[in-house]
Amino acid sequence: MYKIVNKSVERIDVYEKVTGKAKYGADLNCGSQLYAKTVYSRYPHAKILKIDTKEAEGLEGVIMVITAKDVPGNNIMFGKFPVLAQNEVKYIGDGVAVVAAESKEIAEKAAKLVRVEYEELPGVFDLEEAKVENSKRVHSEIENNFIEHSHHLLRSGDVEKGFKEAEVILERTYRTQFVDQAYIEPEAVIVLPDPYKIGVEIHGSIQNPYTIRENVATVLGLKINQVRVIQSTIGGSFGGKDESVMLMAARCAVIALKTGRPVKMVLTREESFLESSKRHPFQANYKIGAKKDGSIVAVENKVYVQGGAYNNKASFANWRASIHAAGPYTIPHIKTDIYGLYTHTIYGGAYRGFSAPQMVFATESLIDELAEELKMSPQEIRLKNCLKPGDEMGTGQILLPGKIPAPLEKMIREICRKTDFESKRKKYIQEREGFNPLKKGIGLSCTFRGAGLGGEGIDTASATVTIDIDGSILIQSGLVEMGQGMRTAHAQIVAEVLGVSLDRITFGNTDTAVTMDSGATVASRGILAGGNAMLIAATELLQRLHQQASIMLNCNIENLISENEFIFNKSKPDKKLTFEEVVKECLKGQGLSLSAQGWYNPGPEKLSPETGRGKAYPTYSYGTAVAELRVDVQTGKINVEKITAAYEIGKAINPQIAKSQFYGGILQGVGYAIMEEMRTKDGYLKTKNFDDFLIPSSADMPEMEVTIYESDDPVGPFGAKSVGELGIELIAPALANALYNATGKRIRELPLNLERVLLGKTLKK
Amino acid sequence: MQDFNFIKPTNLEEVSSLLINYKDKARLIAGGTDLIIALREERLPSNLEIIIDISHLKELDYIREEGGYLRIGSGATHVEIAQNELIKRYAPLLSQAASLIGSPQIRNRGSIAGNIVTASPAADAVPALIVLDSRLVIRKGQEKREELLQKVFVGPYKVNLKSDELVEEIYFKKLPQKAKSDFSKLVRRNAVDKSRVNLAVVAQQNEDKKVIDIKISAGSITPLPQRFKEAEDLLLGEIPTANLIQKTGEKVAEEMMVKSGYRWSTEYKEPVVKSLMVRALNRVLEVE
Ligand SMILES: Cc1cc2nc3c(=O)[nH]c(=O)nc-3n(C[C@H](O)[C@H](O)[C@H](O)COP(=O)(O)OP(=O)(O)OC[C@H]3O[C@@H](n4cnc5c(N)ncnc54)[C@H](O)[C@@H]3O)c2cc1C
Repeated sequence: MYKIVNKSVERIDVYEKVTGKAKYGADLNCGSQLYAKTVYSRYPHAKILKIDTKEAEGLEGVIMVITAKDVPGNNIMFGKFPVLAQNEVKYIGDGVAVVAAESKEIAEKAAKLVRVEYEELPGVFDLEEAKVENSKRVHSEIENNFIEHSHHLLRSGDVEKGFKEAEVILERTYRTQFVDQAYIEPEAVIVLPDPYKIGVEIHGSIQNPYTIRENVATVLGLKINQVRVIQSTIGGSFGGKDESVMLMAARCAVIALKTGRPVKMVLTREESFLESSKRHPFQANYKIGAKKDGSIVAVENKVYVQGGAYNNKASFANWRASIHAAGPYTIPHIKTDIYGLYTHTIYGGAYRGFSAPQMVFATESLIDELAEELKMSPQEIRLKNCLKPGDEMGTGQILLPGKIPAPLEKMIREICRKTDFESKRKKYIQEREGFNPLKKGIGLSCTFRGAGLGGEGIDTASATVTIDIDGSILIQSGLVEMGQGMRTAHAQIVAEVLGVSLDRITFGNTDTAVTMDSGATVASRGILAGGNAMLIAATELLQRLHQQASIMLNCNIENLISENEFIFNKSKPDKKLTFEEVVKECLKGQGLSLSAQGWYNPGPEKLSPETGRGKAYPTYSYGTAVAELRVDVQTGKINVEKITAAYEIGKAINPQIAKSQFYGGILQGVGYAIMEEMRTKDGYLKTKNFDDFLIPSSADMPEMEVTIYESDDPVGPFGAKSVGELGIELIAPALANALYNATGKRIRELPLNLERVLLGKTLKK
Repeated sequence: MQDFNFIKPTNLEEVSSLLINYKDKARLIAGGTDLIIALREERLPSNLEIIIDISHLKELDYIREEGGYLRIGSGATHVEIAQNELIKRYAPLLSQAASLIGSPQIRNRGSIAGNIVTASPAADAVPALIVLDSRLVIRKGQEKREELLQKVFVGPYKVNLKSDELVEEIYFKKLPQKAKSDFSKLVRRNAVDKSRVNLAVVAQQNEDKKVIDIKISAGSITPLPQRFKEAEDLLLGEIPTANLIQKTGEKVAEEMMVKSGYRWSTEYKEPVVKSLMVRALNRVLEVE
């Protein structure tokens, strides 16, 4: 049916990337640039008594050393992040000064010569301490350590009544760890002062140009339009290149304006680990009640989220968590409370999944535990309770075919059949007692995921599509390409609408002076919101082309078709105009504009503040996975053998890219589940580089089999919805469930590392 | 990063005289897979003036058979050792150990002497070399001295080489045909990861299955690479039984505790070392 959409065409930016031609942030240089280096805190919590920059300034080649007092505007940015710590350092990654020098080497040397006197203070280093009433506070201006606006709740039915009806009740606590996104390219920023008017032009590995523009403007005391942010090609981000690049951009911008010289800052991996956001650790306390027949009647939970010293994401991530906290199940009575807490530690932010990997680990472990208690199979309990067409979700939304699909039941049945789940599961239980220390296990998990931002914010996005005189097409999105393939999907949408081939299309990087503020490139909204904007812009252009073609062909505009590079009257298909012909006539013949801006605005989602209920998301994606592993019960070593997964994503604009997103997500999920951990001790970051922060290597990659389910979901362009984040969240619970199947031991804390698997508990270094 | 001169001499003699001239102001670099990291983390002495590249010297890059011995040039890389037919035949555990180091990139660069001189408690080649009773040929100028490998280690990351000395060769007796050997490594990740535990064993039994030779060493569980003599003594002269093998495994774990003291990881490592030791012994011994 479609010519370009729904096909696995080659990525339009792949050649430049694989041949090393694309320019990443660190590749950019400007004549006479300075090199900036941040001086970081020495303690997790301390009073700054004195900062002596004299010696550093005296070093030859050092141009300037700045501290908080040099910030011309507001030193505090969104989420309370200080450009530089003023009187107090609140975590080990706080910057206290920045050195700018003629070379990287001099900057490094000078950074060591900045003398800071501290008075060490006691701190709050974990959730337990942070929760305690009257405990030490991270921010003295608030009464406790609860992060502002981070409490989100969902109230559905009456849990007390629900638990009275329950015949089985379980209470469990699940815990997760800090992990880093581990993108291949560490953060890089270069800032040019007064490029054409007072202000700055910022280039770099920037995931969210608009938030950075706004924040840097307040730091400099300038208007938003005096700051221009142009994204460089990004080497992976997964949510991470946000707070850290905001800090870098702000620091470099201050120096750039003061010195009148371009300023470049590139983080080392150690600095990136220290200063960039991590996945929030969760402590998820659950109570679940069910009838003997397996029907779940009530879920109550209190979830505590470690925010770190500063935080601008917990309020959003926690809202997403509140909607998903009872899992993809029909449950009459739900009471959910999610809280974010400040600690004197590294901080949580966005990382692919944005609270889902933590919540799904908890809920999907819990449902397996319930199944075990009820002597049901994990498949059976899920089939009994999973959301089905016509059901009401915890939010009150009704799952209507053609509006919000609910394909989980079929997906679960099919994946279990395909993997021979039931018979393997039984066999592995029998083998637990056997002599061989290598045990096999199989585990199931399923999920649903609200598409786009939903009630988290306004899900608007812009796109500009411009056709030039030779018929070439430039597309520019307000959302950012960072490796996910969004740009190719956008191009496919535009080419499909205009009836032209893909090779006409090229793209520009996101530039805040060119495209309208489209919010952040998060929440798997690149196609849902950004693609819809492309669709709107392309449709507008098609309209204009057809207007002209109808005159040229002397026919009714309704009869026109654009296909295979031609525009023609469908009742007289032998007379065809070429795309170029019509473009030329529009631009040169008639002087029409062939540039259109698409603005997608789904409107605000309305939710009740008392209950959290309402239209949380316009629609949902679904997924289910089966993990198969082998575990050595004498060492705790897990080898993940196979992940079979299925995802319902509406329509795949590019099935190959969609699958790649799932493969990548699955492998990140394996890392999250069994090996990754950013360890902190008393506020100090112990995990400093990749020798300690282990992410899966190719030798750890399991066999993967991914099936894409498509549906008639009408929300996104051509029926597409969210893909990017869905891959990761199913893996940790599927593996924890498989581990239980193999060993009979339930581990409720991630990662499932050697020590936990062997001893069933955490060893503290 | 500190400043230094990088010198690439054309032969070993030149290297030796540079070392004699510069002493502790000089450092050798072979593959650089340990040294570059130390340099970047600023762990090298501040008086460092020159770094001498020896990675290209053919004089140090050989593996040969000489009488009953195998002689390995100190510059031989892990990949060369892993793939060498002589080593596969006469010291298979060393080939195994080398093949499990790091990643292809690391094995292409990393040298055997680098692994020794870094003296990391987690080094993989070292326990294998120890159970082979390896000796080092150490050179200073034109002089050479020999040292039993084990004797070289004086502390974690510490060897008793003088600053004007270099390791020229590692050699050991070929394992007898009847001997069996085994190297195994436990890691958190399947590649590019340091050993949580590694174990090296050489064993030989006579016709009556009596153990006539047994050598056990391990990495990552003791501060210094060493033999586990008490455990070896349990087996030596005995006909192994399942029970005796269990006891030997326990003994290795016990010796680890004595040598390392109680650490955060002991609760984990004690049972694991025992199980892995039992498995290793079962692979090399015929049990009654
Ligand atoms: C990513 C990564 C993974 C790794 N994985 C492993 C692993 O799995 N197992 C493992 O055991 N090791 C591992 N290592 C450590 C390292 O690769 C090995 O120890 C390697 O053998 C070091 O050899 P090199 O030639 O690179 O030494 P270099 O770094 O060149 O030198 C190391 C030290 O030895 C000295 N030196 C070198 N040659 C001589 C000589 N002939 N005489 C005297 N002194 C000398 C140098 O001066 C320096 O002090 C890993 C390292 C990295 C970076």
